[in-house]
Amino acid sequence: MRIFRILLTYEWLNFRKDRGLQLLTVLTLVAGLYGIYYGTTEVERQRNNIEALDLLTEQNVEEMKEKFPGEADAGDIGYYHSTFAVHHPDSWAGLSLGQRDVNPFYIKLRLLNLQSQLYDTENVNPLKVLAGNFDLAFVLVYLFPLLIIALSFNILSVEKEQGTLPLLLSQPVSLPLMVGAKLSFRLLLVLGLALLLSVVAMVWARVSPDARVTLWLAVVVLYCLFWFGVAFLVAALQKNSAFNAISLLGIWLLLAIVIPALLNVYVSVKQPVPQALALTIKQREVVHGGWDKPKQETLQQFFARYPQYTDTTEIKERFVWRWYYAFHQLGDMAVEDLASDYLHSLQARYDMVQQLNVLSVPVNVQGIFNAVAASDLPAHLGFLQSATDYHTSLREFYYPFLFNQVPFTHADFAVEPRHSFTASPDYGVGLNGIFKLGISVLLVYVVGLLLFRARSAT
Amino acid sequence: MEIVLEAKQLKKQYQDKLALKGLDLQLQAGEIFCLLGQNGAGKSTTINLFLGFIKPTAGAAFINGLEVATNVTKVKEYLAYIPENVMLYPNLTGLENLALFSRLAGFDYKKEELMQYLVEAGLPAEAAARRVGAYSKGMRQKVGIAIAVAKHAKVLLLDEPTSGLDPKASNEFSELLLRLSKAGTGIFMATHDIFRAKEVGTRVGIMREGELVDLLATSDLNANELEKLYLNYMH
Repeated sequence: MRIFRILLTYEWLNFRKDRGLQLLTVLTLVAGLYGIYYGTTEVERQRNNIEALDLLTEQNVEEMKEKFPGEADAGDIGYYHSTFAVHHPDSWAGLSLGQRDVNPFYIKLRLLNLQSQLYDTENVNPLKVLAGNFDLAFVLVYLFPLLIIALSFNILSVEKEQGTLPLLLSQPVSLPLMVGAKLSFRLLLVLGLALLLSVVAMVWARVSPDARVTLWLAVVVLYCLFWFGVAFLVAALQKNSAFNAISLLGIWLLLAIVIPALLNVYVSVKQPVPQALALTIKQREVVHGGWDKPKQETLQQFFARYPQYTDTTEIKERFVWRWYYAFHQLGDMAVEDLASDYLHSLQARYDMVQQLNVLSVPVNVQGIFNAVAASDLPAHLGFLQSATDYHTSLREFYYPFLFNQVPFTHADFAVEPRHSFTASPDYGVGLNGIFKLGISVLLVYVVGLLLFRARSAT
Repeated sequence: MEIVLEAKQLKKQYQDKLALKGLDLQLQAGEIFCLLGQNGAGKSTTINLFLGFIKPTAGAAFINGLEVATNVTKVKEYLAYIPENVMLYPNLTGLENLALFSRLAGFDYKKEELMQYLVEAGLPAEAAARRVGAYSKGMRQKVGIAIAVAKHAKVLLLDEPTSGLDPKASNEFSELLLRLSKAGTGIFMATHDIFRAKEVGTRVGIMREGELVDLLATSDLNANELEKLYLNYMH
C-alpha cells in the first residue's frame, strides 16, 4: 500500500508537469460545462415556450369571447379555438436531452381530426438536428472515452519506450502494482471530473433528488471503469504506444460510431416503420371524402361509435357542425389501425435497439441516460398517447354541446379540459442497462487480466 | 563470509539459442566481480536473471539467500541496479527522480540528503533542480549511480555502468565502487572495460557464448596479462 501511494503521488507530480494532458483535461472540463449549459438552456427554452402556450390559449379564449360575444355554436368554437397538448421536460432532461430536440414538446390541437394535427408539428431546424445535441450525456458518452484513451494509451508502453521500466522494476515494485497505480490515478482523475460535472449539472438543473442521482452516478462510474478496462486490455497486449493508440481509437470508433450506425441500418430493415405521412394522407382522403358522402351515411357510422348521440332526424341543411365533426371523427377512425401500427412499430424498433445495445456500450449508456431523464422514445410515445387522450377528452367536452345542440357560453371556457404531461423516468431500462454495463465491465477486466498474465508469463 | 549473490546451474534458453549454459557462481559481501565478454556472450542475460526480469529455463539465481524466481519483488529490497543507459522520468528533476526511487526503496530522505547523494555521484548541484529531459547521458548515469548508492543495497548489479561517463567521472565511479565494497556491498559488474575490471575487481570472469570460460583473481595478474587472456578466449 505504501508503494501504491508513492506511485500515485508521483503520477500526480508527472501530471502536474505535463502541459498537454492538463490542457486536454481542462478542455474536457470546459466541454462538460458547456454541455451542462447547452442542456439546461435548451430545457429552459422549452419551459419558457410551454409557459407562453398558456398565455396563447388565454389570448385565444379572449379572442373567441370577442368574436362570439353571446351564446355561440360549439361548432364555431371547436373550429376556431385551439389549445395545446404539452410535454413538460423532466428536471433531468437538461442532463440528457435525448429526443426532446427532434420530437415536438407541444402540439396545437383543435376539435378537428386528430391524426393530421399529431404529426403536423414541424418545429425543428434540420441543420440543428444534423449537428446533434451537445449536452452532458454527449460529453460523458462520447468525449470522456477520448480523454481516458489520451490518458491511458501508454501507461505501460511509455515506461518501456522511455526506458524507465528496468530501473522501476529493480525497486520492490511489481508490474501489476505499477500498472494498477497508474490506472488508479487516471481513474481517480477522470472519475473526479465526471462526477464533479454530474453534480454541477444536477445542482444547475435543479433535478429532483431521487433514486436517479445514485443511478446516474453509478452509470458514470461503471462507464469510466469500462473504458479504463478497455485501456487495460490493450495495455495487457504489451505493444508499443502507437499500436495502443490506434487500437483504442479504433475501438472507440467501432463502439461509438460504426456499430450504432450499423444497428440503425439493421433495425430500420428488420423493423420498418410506416410513414406518418401515409397515415395523414389516408386520413385526409377520408375526411375530404366526407363532404361528398350522404350525411346520413356519415352520421350512422358516427353513431355506431357514439350511440348516446343517436339522432334519426334527417339533416336538411347544406352544412351543420355536428355532421362536419362526425366526418372528421370518421377520418380518425379510418386510420386507427394505421396509427396504432405506426406507434407500435416505433416501440418495437426501440425494443429491438434495447436488445441489441449489448453490442455497443455507448449506445446502452446513452439509452440509460435518456431513460433516466425521461427524454427517450417511449417518453415521446407516452406524450402522443396523452395528447390523443386529451383530444378525446376535448371531443367528450364539446360533443354534448354539438349533438344535444346546447349553446356554448363564455363560462364554458373555464371548464374546458387543459393538458399537461410529464413523462416518467424508465427505471426498468435504467436497471437493465446498468446490469449489461456491469457485465461489460467485468468482461473487459477478466479478459485484460488473462491477457496480462499470459503476456507476463512469456 | 556472507554469500550475497549466487547462481546454481543457471540456464536460459531463448527459442533456438541457449544464452546461458549452467552458470555456477558465488559472490561474497564486499567482493567486486567483473564479468567480461563480447556482446551477446550472456552478460546481460545473467544480470536480467538476477533482477528477475526473465525466468531461468533451469537452475536458480539467489540474492541474499532468496531464490529470485519465487521472490521477484522481495529480492529487489536487497539489490540496486545501474543499467548501461539510465533512463529517468523526463518531466521530473534529477532530485525528484532520486526521491521517487529512494521512496520506492523505502528511504524517505530529506532534500539536503538527496542533494548530497547526487553531488557525490558527480552531478553538479545546479543541475539537480532541472528537468531530466534536458540531461546528457552522462548526467542521467550519475543520477542512476546516486539512486543505486542511496538504496544501501547488499548487492549492486551493474551493466556497463560507465558507458557515457567521461574519464574523470569513470575514475570517480571506480573510487565509489571501492568505497561501497569496503562497506560490505557485493558488486556484480558486466563490462567490456578490461582495465577498469582489473583496477576495481576482486575477481574477473570471462564469458563466452553463455559459458563462464575462466575465473581469475585480479591479484594474480596485471592488466596486460588479463587483456591477452581475454583476447585469446575471444578468438
